[in-house]
Amino acid sequence: MKQRARIRLVIIYVAAAMLLAGTVGPFLWLVSSSFQYERQLLNRPPQWLPNPIVLDSYREIFEGAVMGEDSGVPYQSRIFLRSFANSFFVAGSVAVIAVMAGAYAAYPLARLRFRGRQVLLFAILASRLIPALSLAIPIVLVAKRIGMSDKIVSLVFINLSFILPYVIWLLQSYFKTIPMELEDAGRIDGCSRLQVVHKIILPLSLPGLTSAAILAFLLTWGEFLFALLLSESPSSYTSTVVVSLFATDVDVSFVSIITAGVLSVIPPICFALIFQRYIISGLLSGSLKG
Amino acid sequence: MQSRIATPRKEMSQGALALIFSAPAVLIIAATILVPFGMAVFLSLHNWNLKRPGRERFIGLENYTDWLRDSDFWDPLGTTFTFAILAVVVIIIVSLLISLLLNERFPGRGVLRALLLVPWAIPSVVNALLWKWLLNPQYGLVNAIFFEFGIITEYQNMLGSMPSVMIWLVIAYSWIHIPLATLLLLSGLQTIPGDIYESAIVDGAGIWQRFLTITLPLLRPMLSIVVIFEMIFALKVFDIIFVLTAGGPADATNVLGWQIYTETFRKLDFGAGSSIAMLLGAITLALAILFYVFLDKGVEQ
Repeated sequence: MKQRARIRLVIIYVAAAMLLAGTVGPFLWLVSSSFQYERQLLNRPPQWLPNPIVLDSYREIFEGAVMGEDSGVPYQSRIFLRSFANSFFVAGSVAVIAVMAGAYAAYPLARLRFRGRQVLLFAILASRLIPALSLAIPIVLVAKRIGMSDKIVSLVFINLSFILPYVIWLLQSYFKTIPMELEDAGRIDGCSRLQVVHKIILPLSLPGLTSAAILAFLLTWGEFLFALLLSESPSSYTSTVVVSLFATDVDVSFVSIITAGVLSVIPPICFALIFQRYIISGLLSGSLKG
Repeated sequence: MQSRIATPRKEMSQGALALIFSAPAVLIIAATILVPFGMAVFLSLHNWNLKRPGRERFIGLENYTDWLRDSDFWDPLGTTFTFAILAVVVIIIVSLLISLLLNERFPGRGVLRALLLVPWAIPSVVNALLWKWLLNPQYGLVNAIFFEFGIITEYQNMLGSMPSVMIWLVIAYSWIHIPLATLLLLSGLQTIPGDIYESAIVDGAGIWQRFLTITLPLLRPMLSIVVIFEMIFALKVFDIIFVLTAGGPADATNVLGWQIYTETFRKLDFGAGSSIAMLLGAITLALAILFYVFLDKGVEQ
């Protein structure tokens, strides 16, 4: 029996090692490449670890942002930090607004009886089935006509609508887990519905609200299609757009491209690892519970 | 759930409250999803090319009938399905294997599960950039590894020809989609009670038999959900195509998402673009319903 247990453990750890290499290997290679000289990247066989650790490409991005054209670094490197800030602004605003508007919309769906409740729930879910590409065409057309193209506010607005159904779904399933007795007790003490939401539901839903906000931030951070179509200049480029400008340009050095890639995934990866519990519970309840 | 407390007279009805509470969210969703959807239908029924302004006119279903007679619709449709089916198969098989591993108890399991979020958190565009570097024809790691192990005798452009471009596109796409599928399947596995397995072991069922007779049938509802989700996602693939292949080489990876993009935003034919986007939407919806009914029936049996 002991022998069998040992074999089981060996098989498990071989599989686990393969999984580990598969999940973090490609990303670690990107990080390692970003700390090398351009000429080292062209070595055959490749150099696994940077030696020495070269920070030139990172410095380029900071110098480019500060000195502009005088720095002599490629255009994409100069505008990268600005796009990074834009991404933070868009993703942060979407997370805050989506959770606020989403919580108020989720409460009646979870707790109130009214005609059209099922219809509303279905409409919110069904809106996610329409492919973004088909909506993008009229949205771009209208945004250009009314002068809202190339504005970062438009990106907040558009992303909001794709995130909101998801947030509402997640929050209403969370609200349902809060015992009804607590709400009744509040009502007996004379709370209005609004006070019930503010004093009982929201404070007790903090973990659910946190999951929703983090997921909203991460999904918006990675959004590409609308960021691409609704931006025309560095003032509204998000980091995913600048990454695509890097990746499709053959004249920029490999190490600059790679560094931009690494920098633009640092926020989502840090968030994901720090808040992994919230994310996993949010992902599971968002897609499962009715 | 209705509150058991009688509503005080001065308070408004639940319906009115629901309306006020959900108004901000509903207005935002309506303005950015319902209105544009209506406009997309409108555009798809018109001749609407930005290169020829002033000539917009209603043409009924002509855009649709044109597409249905055009190989520029059928070829990308075939490519889209090839890609989507391959991607779903790869994602399901790999994430099933990983979830079976993570369902076992062993030290370090929690860390592995957390690290799954690394690929998940990577935006699709950055993922495309990462694989562009890994697959670089002169300096890519994949070439280096294959060369060192003697699988290839000289460095190759993996994205330069069929079928290797499709294979690598599927791998790159799947890499960031496997984690979520794995987490969902893992949560499905964890709902299967352990004593079922124990009594099966007592009855002398081997590991493979237990998988076929217990795990797979009980996991089926979750498996169906994941298949539908992943299929819907894969059919509208766009981001990774934009960075990694731009539909090439020679249209080998020209999926419908890319076709819509070039038709609309490069050729500026908004009418034709809208109608092909509608077709993609209809196909996706039809498949989702079909899968739902078909897989749901299977579950009941």
